[in-house]
Amino acid sequence: MTPIQMTFSTNFLLGLMGLTFHRTHLLSALLRLESMMLSLFLATSLWALQLSTINIATVPMLVLAFSACSASSGLRLLVATARTHGSDHMQNLNLLQC
Amino acid sequence: MSYLVCVLLFGLMVGSVGVASNPSPYFAAMGLVMVSGVGCGVLICFGGSFLPLVFFLIYLGGMMVEFAFSAALSAEPYPYGWGNRSVKMYVAAYVLGVGCAWKVLLGKWSGFWGGILDESGELLVLRGDMMGVAAMHDVGGWILVLGGLGLLLTLFVVLELVRGVSRGGLRTV
Repeated sequence: MTPIQMTFSTNFLLGLMGLTFHRTHLLSALLRLESMMLSLFLATSLWALQLSTINIATVPMLVLAFSACSASSGLRLLVATARTHGSDHMQNLNLLQC
Repeated sequence: MSYLVCVLLFGLMVGSVGVASNPSPYFAAMGLVMVSGVGCGVLICFGGSFLPLVFFLIYLGGMMVEFAFSAALSAEPYPYGWGNRSVKMYVAAYVLGVGCAWKVLLGKWSGFWGGILDESGELLVLRGDMMGVAAMHDVGGWILVLGGLGLLLTLFVVLELVRGVSRGGLRTV
């Protein structure tokens, strides 16, 4: 594996592991989701640039657009959580517990 | 030039370890700023011109601005930076894991640093990735329309989510 492929793959896996081992804040989980989408943008852009398959350059643009959608939805859920629970601490989201 | 790529890849790893280890969201956003800036540099080193600029603009100008003002919702009096003990343990664990993975997977690889830098050796105005994005507007017109409609739908979804007063996703607040 060349170093650049290794870099964005570990970038993705680090974001995924950070998302798994989140601690307190919902916003930091959303930030790690963003870092995963960032590594996906890097991966698809490098695909277009390194292999000279120029038409694949549409994929990073569309991935970016839809990741903006998901980020904005997540942030609005964060706003809703802060309005009902007072903060975005994950331990407050426990309505399904007995 | 390949040393520049090395430095930028190292900066990518440092930034993503800084995001993934659990600091407070103020500092994690700073790590993401670093990753997007360095990622723009990596794409430039590999010959892109339009895609790195789009990347820089959307991530720093769009998403990080949103995350910055949403960080006010997760304010705490003593935010955990990277000097905190538990965050330092996460950093050490991730650096160790990444180092082991690199040693194992890159151990057999030898050669230069994957440097496609420039095929033509001269300054060009119309680069490959710009032509690819132009193809999205040309033959990919329908996916552009669908993407725009999806973004418009997301706008309305977001507006309804935070509407409140017993309509939408909130209780009566």
